[in-house]
Amino acid sequence: MTRIGFLINPIAGMGGAVGLKGTDDKVEDALLRGAEPQAKNRAKITLNFLKKSKSLIFFTPAGAMGEDALRETGIHDVQIVSHPANKTTALDTKIAAQNFIERDVELILFCGGDGTARDIFDVVGRDIPILGIPAGVKMYSAVFAIDPSTAAEIVLTQGVLSYRDSEVMDVDEEAYQAGELKTFLYGIARVPSETGKTQTSKQVFEESDEERAKGDIARFIREIMIPDVLYILGAGTTTGSIACELGVTKTLLGVDAVKNGKTIARDIDEKALWVLLNETHEAKIVLSPIGAQGFILGRGNQQISARIVRRLGIKNIIVVATPHKLRETPVLYVDSGDRILDAEFGNTVLVVSGYRMAQRKPIYQPQRG
Amino acid sequence: MQTKILLDEEQIPKKWYNVQADLKSPLDPPLHPKTQKPIGPADLSAIFPMELIRQEVTTDRQIDIPEEVREVLQLWRPSPLYRAHRLEKFLKTPAKIYYKWEGVSPAGSHKTNTSIPQAYYNMKAGMERIATETGAGQWGSAMSFATMLYDLECTVYMVRSSYTQKPYRKSMMHVWGAECLPSPSTKTNAGRAMLEKDPDTPGSLGMAISEAVEDAASHSNTNYALGSVLNHVCLHQTVIGLECREQLALVDDYPDVVIGCVGGGSNFAGISFPFAGDKLTGKHKDVDIIGAEPASCPTLTKGLFTYDLADEAGYTPLLKMFTLGHDFVPPSMHAGGLRYHGDSPIVSRLVNDGVMRAVAYHQSEVFDAAQTFARTEGIIVAPETSHAVKSAIDEALKCKKSGEAKTILFNCSGHGNFDMSAYDDYYSGKLVDYEYPDDLIKESLARIPKIS
Repeated sequence: MTRIGFLINPIAGMGGAVGLKGTDDKVEDALLRGAEPQAKNRAKITLNFLKKSKSLIFFTPAGAMGEDALRETGIHDVQIVSHPANKTTALDTKIAAQNFIERDVELILFCGGDGTARDIFDVVGRDIPILGIPAGVKMYSAVFAIDPSTAAEIVLTQGVLSYRDSEVMDVDEEAYQAGELKTFLYGIARVPSETGKTQTSKQVFEESDEERAKGDIARFIREIMIPDVLYILGAGTTTGSIACELGVTKTLLGVDAVKNGKTIARDIDEKALWVLLNETHEAKIVLSPIGAQGFILGRGNQQISARIVRRLGIKNIIVVATPHKLRETPVLYVDSGDRILDAEFGNTVLVVSGYRMAQRKPIYQPQRG
Repeated sequence: MQTKILLDEEQIPKKWYNVQADLKSPLDPPLHPKTQKPIGPADLSAIFPMELIRQEVTTDRQIDIPEEVREVLQLWRPSPLYRAHRLEKFLKTPAKIYYKWEGVSPAGSHKTNTSIPQAYYNMKAGMERIATETGAGQWGSAMSFATMLYDLECTVYMVRSSYTQKPYRKSMMHVWGAECLPSPSTKTNAGRAMLEKDPDTPGSLGMAISEAVEDAASHSNTNYALGSVLNHVCLHQTVIGLECREQLALVDDYPDVVIGCVGGGSNFAGISFPFAGDKLTGKHKDVDIIGAEPASCPTLTKGLFTYDLADEAGYTPLLKMFTLGHDFVPPSMHAGGLRYHGDSPIVSRLVNDGVMRAVAYHQSEVFDAAQTFARTEGIIVAPETSHAVKSAIDEALKCKKSGEAKTILFNCSGHGNFDMSAYDDYYSGKLVDYEYPDDLIKESLARIPKIS
């Protein structure tokens, strides 16, 4: 039997339908504008597929945060882990997540948006894999299945799945309400990946193990690192594996600088990076696309600003990503805040995806669509 | 309007053409992997019969094809030369496109042109068994067919990623009585060492060669056979180009452009060497000879022309060739037959000398071309062959622009009937455009201090 922690954020997605950019702290406002809860209905699509399976046990909070949807779908193999009040908050999500840890669940299936993902991640970190049924207003994190039925498919193939690292993103709420999108890398969760299902596909050996791919990328980057050149390593686990290959530790969510195999600066902000570059003869940036959409710049790597990229030149950016990641992001994005610079990236980018191996990927350019 | 240009069975060439005779200077010799001194026939006799060793090194211009071999070749040779009227019309090109259709052989590709003579010479030398490797399975099935004809046993080490992807190629080998193992296997020391290093490796042609060579060297009744790269293999394939020249003469034509796809180089050698000979001897100085290779394994366009090992483990001689390094494991793309780090030393030499040139393509664009070909000419080509199709289409489109009515000849080296999963991936948008990060590698290599 597979032990699934199941959780719904009942208010997720309510704001979107009535023109609010998110629902956090705005439930009353949303209700006043006529919003109706929709997360439960989204979750029930997934549950309808899952109810046929005899090998799942669900652990869930009572009432609207999970139990209701399960019972209405006809799933009765359910154990209640907590009893949230009628008006649920982020704290209820965190309490449920804590209970999931105590009940040794193997996967947390949640229905919500970026806020829900962050609350769960805060408690479970990388200890338990998580998978989102998309229902929120904002879903910039890479932890969501593409739709509720795919979420079910992924849960049902749990036994043959591998896990991949996926970014949990944090959106600047105030800026967002004002119409400006600022997302930051919040954490990196473990998410089940469907790869294992396609045994006959060509990529099966290459992609079945993301750790292996990261190791290959790291080995290659180490091999091509030039003495006395400063390497700026962007956020994420793929760049982290490069640091690991060099024998240094790296800030997972931040930007570090290395030279001749040694760390020169850790978790540096844009200003410090600017100063460092002005003291440096030659430097290169190693970046991995971030978030569900795959942003090379502008999401989670904001320290590497447009002026930094201009200072170094696009030719000194090395983009790295595992084949898993690249398969899920057919198009990559650049949003440096400087449209002319973004356009200079052109229509494609070479992404190092293995040892002495790269993939040519398209870049979204707004003027061309 | 003639579509098929056919020759009679008695017009199967009676002699192979050896382009080594027309090279301005001899090829650089293969070197012993340990002593780094030129190897002699004795070094090769543990794994090859003497006649093939002779063919490997001879500079005689013509070499007789044994009558017993020609009798077997009659099963499918001479192969038809097609005029691609429908493709020309579709492209609206003034160019004339011809393709030599090698998919008519029992194993479905050009590979039988050399598997038959190789098995024959081994049988004549008293061998009982052949050990060989295969990438996409074309060579393995061709050798299984040939060994069956001469009552030899056959063990094929098949690159693991292809072994999983192309189960029907294995089935073909079994029908013809051969044993097919995924490589790296646990049967050889080389295979076990590679698995220990990386249990999930997709394998590579270089690894599979190491296994087959070890198998042959450690069994006295067994010889090794290679489906590409070596001089004698390219020699046997020249029947393709020799027939083409005769067939084109029947319609009073001669190619301006000759194209083949390139992995180890044998089908490209087969169609192009007779024309390269015409170029070298001044008969047709302007013929443009193009090898089309994958951007993910761009040996001729991005590799170095230097001595390197032909295999992963270091059992083979060092060959002077274009190479990406013998430790390079190309990605598991669909054109498995083109996943080879090196290239034929003769092809490499001719490219280096400017007699031939090379182009590299991404996976998705060659499948675009293959689809165009299938929807005009009807034939669903192998992913490897689609590189040649792409190059032919490109050249024809250049003619459309310039208004030139060039004659383009390409080798349609094999069918893709066992590659439909590749086409499925193409239609579902799953093809990955792998590319060799050449600039990054070269920039870092340029800074490495030179050691004298």
